[in-house]
Amino acid sequence: MDFLFLLTLLIYLAASIFHVIFLTTGDRKIDRFAYWVTIGGFALHSIYLVLHWLRQGEFPMAYWYDSASFFAWAIILIYLCIAHLTRLRTVGGFVVPAAFIANLIAYTLPKGNAAISPALQNYWLITHTSFIFLAYAAFVAAFGFGLMYLIEEKRIREKKHTLLYNLLPALGRSDRICHKCIVVGVILMTIGIIIGIFWTRHIQEVKWRWVDAKVIFTVATWLIYVLQLSIRHVFGWYGRKTAYSAIVGFGAVLFTYVGVNLLLPSIHAF
Amino acid sequence: MNQIFVVGTSHHTAPLDCRERLSFTEDQYSDAFRFLKESRRIEEAVILSTCNRVEIYAATKSKDGSALLFDFLSDYHQIEPRQLSQFTYNYQNLDAVRHLFNVVTSLDSMVVGETQILGQVKTAYDHSVSAGASCDILKRLFTKAIRVGKRVRTETNIGAGAVSISFVAVQLAKKIFQSLEDKTVVIIGAGEMSELTAQHLVENGVSKVIVANRTYGHAVEIAEKFGGTPLTYDADLSFLIDADIVITSTNASHHLINRQALVEIMRKRKHRYMFLIDIAVPRDVDPEVAGVENAFLYNIDDLEAVIASNLKERGQEAEIAAQIVESEAVKFHLALQGFDVNPTIKALHQRFQQITSRELNVCLDKAELSPKQQKIVESMIQSITKKLLHQPTTHLRQIAMDYDSPENADDINDDYVPYVRALRELFALEFAAADDMGNKD
Repeated sequence: MDFLFLLTLLIYLAASIFHVIFLTTGDRKIDRFAYWVTIGGFALHSIYLVLHWLRQGEFPMAYWYDSASFFAWAIILIYLCIAHLTRLRTVGGFVVPAAFIANLIAYTLPKGNAAISPALQNYWLITHTSFIFLAYAAFVAAFGFGLMYLIEEKRIREKKHTLLYNLLPALGRSDRICHKCIVVGVILMTIGIIIGIFWTRHIQEVKWRWVDAKVIFTVATWLIYVLQLSIRHVFGWYGRKTAYSAIVGFGAVLFTYVGVNLLLPSIHAF
Repeated sequence: MNQIFVVGTSHHTAPLDCRERLSFTEDQYSDAFRFLKESRRIEEAVILSTCNRVEIYAATKSKDGSALLFDFLSDYHQIEPRQLSQFTYNYQNLDAVRHLFNVVTSLDSMVVGETQILGQVKTAYDHSVSAGASCDILKRLFTKAIRVGKRVRTETNIGAGAVSISFVAVQLAKKIFQSLEDKTVVIIGAGEMSELTAQHLVENGVSKVIVANRTYGHAVEIAEKFGGTPLTYDADLSFLIDADIVITSTNASHHLINRQALVEIMRKRKHRYMFLIDIAVPRDVDPEVAGVENAFLYNIDDLEAVIASNLKERGQEAEIAAQIVESEAVKFHLALQGFDVNPTIKALHQRFQQITSRELNVCLDKAELSPKQQKIVESMIQSITKKLLHQPTTHLRQIAMDYDSPENADDINDDYVPYVRALRELFALEFAAADDMGNKD
């Protein structure tokens, strides 16, 4: 099992390297290869998660280790969806390394077999965490497109026409896809939060507090994205501003996911 | 054996008026092929006639194919041979193959990396095929050439990057908007360059053209060319609110569009992207505009700089392309001469077969053997032949395998050629030049 996870990790590393090589050389063969390696890694990762779930007997979401691994899986899932829908694999050079890092962190974290309190162990857990992490993954993709947008815009303004310039998508396209990723992320996050709210009503054994650091920062993150979408719609905050907010939003996601637990007390394990 | 010849003239060797006189129109092709066949005994020919070159490729047994083709050109177009000779070049065999590959990959073109020539070669070949003038060698040569052309296109970036102002403008616009459909282009002022640029934008999907001019008459005149909307303007630039792409080329001595005005316009158009192309000298658009969000300004110098860098990049890619051409040309030529392993082995086996079966027949006629005895003798002869040939065959295949392996595909590894040559000479092997080459790759 551990071997399977290590293998997944190594394949993600290879996929990251190939994606980055593609960004620097523009070699179409490497591009195709990177894509298929990623698909292979994803398949292996999925098998690992299912096996892990079966062995645990319940949805494995008790530890940081579980969540980071699931996060990596979600990032790759979203990336593959985007690559399939848009035929744009350049973004892989930004998000696949992110998935690798998430998985690497998971690998270094301790993992235990202790189950979560049975009170929490139900479908609420599965759906709540899945939706939230898929939303995070969509925000990672938005972050990737935001970065690509800023690099591309800088190049057009500075009149630099090098290889990377040829590979990055047109400004309008990066902007549109970044926006769509944010929309999808917000929808998923909204569903995840709503499920979370309903979940609290079913918990009796665990004492629930509304004023929880995790809850507050999650709502703050959600607000950042929702505000951005509204302003874009009303005032035409296209392009650079969308890209910047995708990056700021990503910072908020990271803080909500990791920072809060390190600095503030929370009822959420992660 | 049939040899390949080419006689032609191109922008390297002849001025336009001369190329014009030598060119062939489409309806002349079949006539020309018949003429070549009847008066020059040239069975296989391809005529490539574009605005930059007129070339005739031919495959014939005659040793002086070049002279035949030259005479034909001179006769057909009624130009004095002495006059014609200073404008033409001719190549044969490997040089001819290499030349065609250089042509088809655009390495010989006026603008290296241009895309039209591959199609033109294809069309020229198609004409020849439909006239029945390409069956054996030229068929293989041209299918190979087209494949080489495609290979260079996919494996190098020789065609990447536009090299004219109007194409650079289109490419940049696509870099900003992705698709130009539903976009509006505004031309302010007049001029060949701005009209050409607008033309290319329209060809690439721009749906609406607005032509603004100080004089309404001029605006109408230019607008008619694109089915655009003419209008006059003064200080009010509000018509720019709908403009996604703006091309300016007025004679104004001051900046027509300044930062403040553009900021206002951008606000009104909800900050949708605007691409400003300033072709005018002195400039029409204040360079300060460059900082405005979602507005992108390129002036004539910027566009020229893009062209220069693209040309440089094409030059580097052309070197890679030249290597591909060289290796493909040598390989093709070797294969054409029959210096190919499989046909050689086949011919060698056939040679042995011929000799043994002849001798066997003589022997069987003399000795009166029972059918069973005959069979034994036959199988003995066969097994001797087989065993004698086994070692040389496998050894040659081994060398050829190294040659054929994909990782060596780009190296010109002709180690096996001396062996093939020796075999051919020692055993006097004659065979149709490499029949099975056509399906290689």
